[in-house]
Amino acid sequence: MAKKKNKTTFGTLALAMFWLVAVSGVFLAIPFDVKSPYLSISNMMVSNPWASLIRNFHYWSSQFFLVFSLIHLYDHFHYKQKVGLKKGMAFRLSLAVLTISLAMISGFLLKGDADSEQARQILKTLSERIPLIGESLAYSLLGDSENYQLIYVHHIATFTIFIAIAMVEHSRKYWPPISDFILSFVGTLGISYLLSAPLHDNLNPAVKGPWYFVGFQEILHWLKHPEWSLLLFLGVLLLIYFVNSAKGKTMFLSKRTLLVFSAFYGILTIIGLFFRGENWKWETPWNNEYSYSVLHNFKTPKVKLSPDYTIREAMSSPVIQGRKESCLACHTNTHGFTDSHSPEAIGCFSCHGGNPFATGKKQSHRNMILIPGNLNTANQSCGTTQCHPEIVERVPTGLMATLSGMISVDRFVFNEQDNPDILTDVHRLGNSAADEHLKNLCVRCHLGNPKTVYGPITETSRGGGCLACHLNYSEEAKNALAQNNGDLINAHPEISLKITNNHCFGCHSRSGRISTSYEGWHETTLLASEMPDSSNYRLIEESRVFIKKKEDVHHQLGLQCIDCHHSYEVMGDGNHYAHQEDQQDVQCSDCHIDGQPKIISAEDLDNESAIIAALRFGNISERKFLVTEKHNRALINTFVENDSIYFLTKNSGKKMTMKSPAAVCTRDNAHSSLSCSSCHTSWAPTCIGCHNSFDENERAYNMIKNQEQKGGWVEYIGEYKAQQPTLGIRKTENKTEVIPVLPGMILTIDKKSFSKNENDADIFHRLYAPAAPHTTSAKGRSCVSCHNDPVALGYGEGELKYEIKNGEGKWLFNAKYENIEDGLPADAWVDFLKTRDGKVSTRSNVFPFSVEQQKNILTVGACLTCHSENSELMKKSLNNFDDLLKNRSSRCVSPDWE
Amino acid sequence: MEIKNRRTFLQIISGGIIAFFIFIWNKLTLNHIEISGEKEKMLPFNKNKTISFYGNYIIVNQENKTTVLSSHCTHLGCRIDKQENGRLVCPCHGSEYDLNGSVLKGPAYKNLRIVPSEITDEGKNILIKG
Repeated sequence: MAKKKNKTTFGTLALAMFWLVAVSGVFLAIPFDVKSPYLSISNMMVSNPWASLIRNFHYWSSQFFLVFSLIHLYDHFHYKQKVGLKKGMAFRLSLAVLTISLAMISGFLLKGDADSEQARQILKTLSERIPLIGESLAYSLLGDSENYQLIYVHHIATFTIFIAIAMVEHSRKYWPPISDFILSFVGTLGISYLLSAPLHDNLNPAVKGPWYFVGFQEILHWLKHPEWSLLLFLGVLLLIYFVNSAKGKTMFLSKRTLLVFSAFYGILTIIGLFFRGENWKWETPWNNEYSYSVLHNFKTPKVKLSPDYTIREAMSSPVIQGRKESCLACHTNTHGFTDSHSPEAIGCFSCHGGNPFATGKKQSHRNMILIPGNLNTANQSCGTTQCHPEIVERVPTGLMATLSGMISVDRFVFNEQDNPDILTDVHRLGNSAADEHLKNLCVRCHLGNPKTVYGPITETSRGGGCLACHLNYSEEAKNALAQNNGDLINAHPEISLKITNNHCFGCHSRSGRISTSYEGWHETTLLASEMPDSSNYRLIEESRVFIKKKEDVHHQLGLQCIDCHHSYEVMGDGNHYAHQEDQQDVQCSDCHIDGQPKIISAEDLDNESAIIAALRFGNISERKFLVTEKHNRALINTFVENDSIYFLTKNSGKKMTMKSPAAVCTRDNAHSSLSCSSCHTSWAPTCIGCHNSFDENERAYNMIKNQEQKGGWVEYIGEYKAQQPTLGIRKTENKTEVIPVLPGMILTIDKKSFSKNENDADIFHRLYAPAAPHTTSAKGRSCVSCHNDPVALGYGEGELKYEIKNGEGKWLFNAKYENIEDGLPADAWVDFLKTRDGKVSTRSNVFPFSVEQQKNILTVGACLTCHSENSELMKKSLNNFDDLLKNRSSRCVSPDWE
Repeated sequence: MEIKNRRTFLQIISGGIIAFFIFIWNKLTLNHIEISGEKEKMLPFNKNKTISFYGNYIIVNQENKTTVLSSHCTHLGCRIDKQENGRLVCPCHGSEYDLNGSVLKGPAYKNLRIVPSEITDEGKNILIKG
């Protein structure tokens, strides 16, 4: 009898666990503060390892109590014999199962973290939907939503007492066998030391209930009317009742139903625990987000009874968003931040991840984001709910992240798609010839290319997500990094709005070379070793030699890139655009205004612009800002005061007045269709005649994988020139305008070198590209530089001559370059006095001048061969050219187009 | 028979006492909710921020119109505290609503509750009623 009495069963183990839960709960009540549960628990974990250990002990003993109780039930159920309890006892046991669930869930709620808060809402809503007594029941169970008082009372008293009574009544004993008690104690203590009880970091967007209710959470997610799930719960309790009290078929069927339900529930629990992430979305282990979204629940630190810092250091670290972070107990005096990013405001964890509740270096740094801001982790750092979620959401839609235009044009050039305007994304590159070409030569600059080494953004930097623009190292931070010998570095780089031209330079000094042109540098084909020792030359990236040219007038005045380009242009506005000119918003005419300015007052600014303006310029409450014509965005560094328009440089606050366009620009009857840049571009870099072939022995680079590979596309460049651009026509829905264009792609592609198919002919294209040269000069280009210039008209370089013979005028052209495979000179866009259609540019809406347009231009050009462009006659011609032509003197010979 | 009657009598009395306690409990709780419930709440207002999350409320400004929505998902009451691509998304089971509070994706099928509100103090604050 004594032997039987002391036999170890899951029932006796559950009883042992109950006592361990109760005793550890009393201990836990000492450091636990019901007024701020989340803070007090995080404080225990960070500052009081013994309290943390007892919390873990309380948690694990309660989990084992639940598990052992359930197995104890199963022990009875899997036999075919009846249990045969009296009805009253069976009823109270079913009620005890309910009470155990409530005791467990109330303990879960008392963490006060993000998981708990949502679980509390679910419990409240389900209770409230019980007819008649729902509202009272929900309130009596959970109390006022602002505090945890009633939940705490129920957890430590109501539920615990009821469980104790039911248990003693049912088992007829108070104490478990001593061996069970010791075994339970030692086992629980070991687990409590190795695995801390979970606490949500309140940043991760994935929220889940306790493990024993995630199956229930899965069921709830199927139900439109989740309150019906309570009947399921009631059904389970009834089945337990029948199992305990009924006999015969009812008892047997109840047992089998419970078994089937348990198996089913087990599957749902596995699904809930391991395959559900943020927003209860299905997540699989091979998904990139899996670890962050699903496994974060399981990443729990070991208790370190001697933390890597003193209690005093832990106590003096600040409370961050309602919790203690252990990071700041070690990383004291870390400085260099702007106010909004200081550790006192956002801690370390918000950006760097890791484990804020671990107390040792190794555990704290596990899963840390060493370089936060890269787009692959931005949603876990910069983009968390409390910080900049709306920006991190839209940056990947912008062209600097998608490279849609670059990819689409390249595929178009490789004849892989019919038009160059199809929206795509750098993350969707395949293995076609064009895509491999892009990977080898082009796509290193997208914002998603991660920054992987510490240090400031330099001319060799590419990508880096948020850091590409917002990272700045102070001299102290640079020195600290250079002298880093593994000790704690206190000088932290700054994340701020100090975005300089240097941030843009790495990417924008390539391809269109906007950054270099803006500063007045033109790339040559010289080797570094051939660079003359002169201040007129500049070496970039230790290999590219640039020669001094005229800088942009805005650069001369001290304007930086961000002085014109606002946040919605640079970080995207959430829309997908095919090309740069579509995403770009600011136009010259937004600042150089003729007529009434379009303005917005400070109080009507969108939130993002208002914050940026206030951070940059302080009190802006009385200001009125200019608004862009195209996308209706505020230009926060402009303001209108007493009918004058002022401009402030964003980084230095230098104040300037804005000039209106010259009269010649605003006259409507001549040149009205010219864009500002078609006249005010002083020069643009051009390149003609490049050849692309695939060399399988070349040591190439894969810019997506960021690794070297054998075999890749090689580009053999032609000649670089700096000259005034060609002009072309862009036709959009709203207008037709003359724009600068450049010989973007006059090239050959040896496709068979890639495909190894001898039937693949070489691809040849003669495509010009719309340009944004960024070499603005205050004075526009001369009349003859367009009307009498073969490059401007698209014929390429050569001699364009107006010849009068026998009273008849005729334009003649001798090209400088030989004709190549399509019968046109190497640098031409069109043949002399002819035009082209079909594939003519890297856009579907950009064309060369028509023959008629060329004739009109050259007719004026013919006049300019005799009359100076500054002559009164030519000035008059701007108003009534046709009349003047009709009434010209007999000495004037206009071109004979016959 | 006598015993049975006595037991029945005691059962009726016990049932009555339980019912009485349930009645008292229900009354006192409802009264307590009534007297302690918050009727109005004043929150800071920024008319240029499209979506602001404030605990139990979501303030939405669009097309010069301000709407205050309850932040509690109509499926199970979870608090919605984020938006994705202009949709309000419930973190518990992924129900989605547009900025008018209308359901776009289940399991929720009812729209978010629109809470009466009034902009006060020359647009600096918003008074939320209920």
